[in-house]
Amino acid sequence: MLTVRFLAMSAVIEIDGLRKTFRTLRGGARVALDGFDMTVEAGQVHGFLGPNGSGKTTTLRALLGLVHADAGRMAVLGRQAPAELPAVAGRVGAIVESPQFFGNFTGRRTLRLLATAGGVPHERVEEVLDQVGLRDRGDERVKGYSLGMKQRLAVASALLKQPELLILDEPANGLDPAGIREMRDLMRDLAAANVTVLVSSHILAEIQLICDHVTIISRGRRVLSGPVSEVLSGFDKGEYRVRVAEHERAAEVIRGAGLPVTVHDDHFVVGDLADPAWVSETLGGQGMWIRELTPLTPDLESVFLQLTGTEPEPGTHKQVDDAVRPGAEHDLSVTVVEGEAK
Amino acid sequence: MNLVRAELSRLLARRFTQLMLILLVGSFVVTIATMVGSSHRPTAAEWERAEIQVVQEESRQEQMRELCESGQGTTDFCQTLSERKPRLEDYLFGVFVFEREIGNLVYFMVAFVALFGFLVAASFVGAELNSGGMTNLLLWRPQRLTVLGTKLGTLLASVLAVAVVATVGYIASFWVIAQVNGLPGDVDAEFWGDLAMLVVRGLLLVLGAAALGFCLATLGRHTAAAMGVVAGYAIVWEVGARIVMEVVEAGRTETYMLSTYLGAWMGGRVTFYDGPCIGSFEDCSYSLTWAHGLIVLTALVAVVAVAAFANFRRRDLA
Repeated sequence: MLTVRFLAMSAVIEIDGLRKTFRTLRGGARVALDGFDMTVEAGQVHGFLGPNGSGKTTTLRALLGLVHADAGRMAVLGRQAPAELPAVAGRVGAIVESPQFFGNFTGRRTLRLLATAGGVPHERVEEVLDQVGLRDRGDERVKGYSLGMKQRLAVASALLKQPELLILDEPANGLDPAGIREMRDLMRDLAAANVTVLVSSHILAEIQLICDHVTIISRGRRVLSGPVSEVLSGFDKGEYRVRVAEHERAAEVIRGAGLPVTVHDDHFVVGDLADPAWVSETLGGQGMWIRELTPLTPDLESVFLQLTGTEPEPGTHKQVDDAVRPGAEHDLSVTVVEGEAK
Repeated sequence: MNLVRAELSRLLARRFTQLMLILLVGSFVVTIATMVGSSHRPTAAEWERAEIQVVQEESRQEQMRELCESGQGTTDFCQTLSERKPRLEDYLFGVFVFEREIGNLVYFMVAFVALFGFLVAASFVGAELNSGGMTNLLLWRPQRLTVLGTKLGTLLASVLAVAVVATVGYIASFWVIAQVNGLPGDVDAEFWGDLAMLVVRGLLLVLGAAALGFCLATLGRHTAAAMGVVAGYAIVWEVGARIVMEVVEAGRTETYMLSTYLGAWMGGRVTFYDGPCIGSFEDCSYSLTWAHGLIVLTALVAVVAVAAFANFRRRDLA
């Protein structure tokens, strides 16, 4: 278990022990959330990750009052959710999963109707249409929009209120590469303007680029939460890839010094290495000249796959419910809190 | 107020609403045009012929009345005889007589506007639930009962406005036809009072149909759910159960049918004769009045509305 400390900030989202079971008319039951916890502090761009069916969207829907939780406590901007959501709804922008709009309305009309319902001036509609790149397509019917354009419209609807908290479920879904980059820039701009962003996505490279904090959920439970940089450093094993002409002999030399070594076809990987210069000196001293010495730093994708147990294995077809269920058997939780470890 | 404005905009911007309005106006125009084309001002010869026929009918009725007074006619026959006064309008064929025909025309209008209200209402909430529009709205106004209540209230007010305008325009059109190309008939204060009551009952029926369509679609989360329930009820109960009840000779089957209460509400009173009692009508007839219709139809709408709001309050939304 890993413990990291950081400065106290005010919580914008607090979720504690959230439980939700979906039941069918035939008596079936599926546990979507099994005591899930999450905290998002003010000013964070917080990534929310999990395999398919892990409970991300259910969490966001429960937080926004669209799904009734069976147990647990939630608060948004300091107010209990969902009971006190109306008091803060004007400060929260959200899109949840694939946003669906009424196909026969134009994008502009859709936003104007929402603006009317929320008491937002109509001038704001033009601003957000411009912001998401739909200014010139706002008078087209939504049913003619591509998935990416609908996604942009959804983001526009979330931005209409100039929210303090933005909750985005798969905002890059359907976006083209330019759209993904624009979304990334948009979130950075919002973060710079002190908007707290909670974003769920499967594009882990994007999350790593955009987010400063991350929570990973698997089968309805939290497996990890903390600053992205510290999460990654927590999984940094000090590994380096070494390429050298006689790589098997070189590996024996390094292994002889007591370091863990894994030999591959044309290189080897050495772990627990505090100073890479030591490898150069040691092998150079024996007449073996290094052609490559590359640090193997973990990325969010590898951490995610490792923690959730969803890494593909040759010859097997992983099923949705094969993800790791955090608990007594696999205590993978990495909690980053102020003060003590949890 | 913002929510009401937004809901009104959504309702009016919907193509289904616009299409149904066009169909409503179109059906009225066709009805009115048909009446204009099939009616004419009576000629002097037609007046003269009608006067002769009235005199002949009065003479025939006088003979019948004498028979009744001598105790040779059935009670029913003699009772209706005294209510049937021959009038000139009865013998002017191809002439639209406002006083005689507006009642049936209002029935037709109410049926059409009620269908309009039911379909528009079911579609208004069904499409929003099905398309995700309701979810989007709740992200802005996370007050489920307020949102659904405002939607229903706005819808009912709009349907009522359409129904009132349609009714006034419809009746006024036939009044003008009667003045120009037909006859007004015997339109006294009692007639206008009865017509006003018919219209009021019709408007309430339209509101009930709209509320029912809205609530059924809310429960079923889809426009088609409302239509399916009505179609299912009509086929399974009004047709199927009626046949079964007749086969087993159940008594007073009409009291179990919603159509009976619709008829009682609009007509003021409906009288039925129990099948098993045929042969002794007087003992086996039973009547239902507009009051019975009011109670049953109100209870039906209230139960469905409470169920819809209670369900929507707790439901997980996609």
